[in-house]
Amino acid sequence: MTETKDSIESNKNLDARFENLASYVLGALDHAEERAAVENLIERDPEVQAEFEELAEAADLLAIAVPTVEPPASLKTRIMEMAGQSAPSRLVEIANIYEKQGGRTGASWWRRAFQSGIGVSAAAAVLVVVVGSALAYQNNHLGNEINSLRADLATESVAVANLQTELSTTLTDSENRVATMKSEMKVMEDDFVATTEMVVHQEEMVSQLGIANNALRQALSDQNWLTYVSTKEGYQVESWLAGNTQQITTTEPTASGLIAVQIVGNEAVFQVHGLPQPQPGYAYTLWLMGNGDPRPVAQFEVSGIGSATITFLLPEPLRFFSTVLVTQERVNGIGTDPSGTMVLSAQTN
Amino acid sequence: MNYQRLEDLELLAKISEQDRQALAALYDRYGRRVFALAVRMLNDPVGSEEVTQDVFMSVWRRGASYTSKKGKFSTWLFSIAHNRTIDELRKRRRDRSRENADIDDHLNIQSNDISPADAAVAQSEYAKIRAAMEKLPVEQKSVLELSYFNGLTQTEISTKTGQPLGTVKTRMRLALKKLRTALSTEIGAQA
Repeated sequence: MTETKDSIESNKNLDARFENLASYVLGALDHAEERAAVENLIERDPEVQAEFEELAEAADLLAIAVPTVEPPASLKTRIMEMAGQSAPSRLVEIANIYEKQGGRTGASWWRRAFQSGIGVSAAAAVLVVVVGSALAYQNNHLGNEINSLRADLATESVAVANLQTELSTTLTDSENRVATMKSEMKVMEDDFVATTEMVVHQEEMVSQLGIANNALRQALSDQNWLTYVSTKEGYQVESWLAGNTQQITTTEPTASGLIAVQIVGNEAVFQVHGLPQPQPGYAYTLWLMGNGDPRPVAQFEVSGIGSATITFLLPEPLRFFSTVLVTQERVNGIGTDPSGTMVLSAQTN
Repeated sequence: MNYQRLEDLELLAKISEQDRQALAALYDRYGRRVFALAVRMLNDPVGSEEVTQDVFMSVWRRGASYTSKKGKFSTWLFSIAHNRTIDELRKRRRDRSRENADIDDHLNIQSNDISPADAAVAQSEYAKIRAAMEKLPVEQKSVLELSYFNGLTQTEISTKTGQPLGTVKTRMRLALKKLRTALSTEIGAQA
């Protein structure tokens, strides 16, 4: 079976006084304040009281709407034993009993009592009963208040327990988050230290590789010269442009070179090494100096590692010239004298 | 004196005079129902014994505080039993570590004090009320089950079912009203 929309719509305009009654009866209100408000309404509003009784009777039926389960016989025995050890609270309405007794006997009872000569005793007895009744009434009232306070205290205890649970959960979550963040930071710190160490190590390796590279370049250079001289039969080295610091002047500290001359004939070989690439539009130019006007012998380019080997014919024997010079000159723009940047020079032997 | 023939309020008056036989008579009258309700809600016979014990000790100690403003005595008694069981249910939800006992070991325990005739009457009442509940619209039956037997609050039901809170309240009220109408004869008999 399904409910119709009309059945819900018909209750939308339900009097606000009745709104929480069903939830109260079913024990489904969320807060003690809501329960107290409903109880207050039931206490002072007859219509709410009537509605409450109707709904409570229905809820009463729900208690029966469960399968029959017989409790063990020992339970009744246990309850009866506990009852034997604990007296019930005596909330007998003495005042009501006294009132009923008075109503039954009427004023003539008093007159007869005084006329029979027991007035004083009776008065004392009445006084005791009246005071006792007042005390009992007060006791009853205080008992009800204590019960009410106990109920409030139980509700508050539940709320406090809930709050403690929530706080405990929140605290645990926060602690876990802090621990996780600390752990992540430690990992990051370790990574940072490892990275820094790696960078320092790499820098050291680069430095060592640079030193090794220079040594290798020097060894290669020396090997080149030795190989060249040993393979050029019929030539002799006339001028070392490398390693002879007294005879060489250069703006390029890594540059070196030599000129080898044919023993018989006028052919010469010039080889240079370690020169940087010339400026755009410029090329290196080899000059022979010290025998009249400067003689530009050849314009040449260098390889990727700054090397070049050129062969040329000597205009006159090399001994007639005092200096060998290398400058940067404009491509196809060589003048009568060197005018560009001088990169290498050496005296002939 | 035959205590079984005394009305609930007469037994309550005797309880205020420390008459334990009156308490025994009330237990014979309502003990099974209180225990069965607790078992239905807690699914734990051992815990249900504790709840039943608490309920009847509460009647023993505070029975004189009952007034007719609190409804019929049986309504008041079941209200105490239901509230006490809900407290236990919600406490257990907060404390998940507690294991429920195996219900099969306890459900079929039969007391020698219960006559076959009483058992038949109880089964008959149960059958009538279950039949009335089955006739309720499924949405209304659901809110009754969730609130009364599972101990969920109206806000929890709203969250669980996705229904607006106002709809939950309305369905609770309609369900109770329909149940009462369907079983008005039963209520009359009880009164």
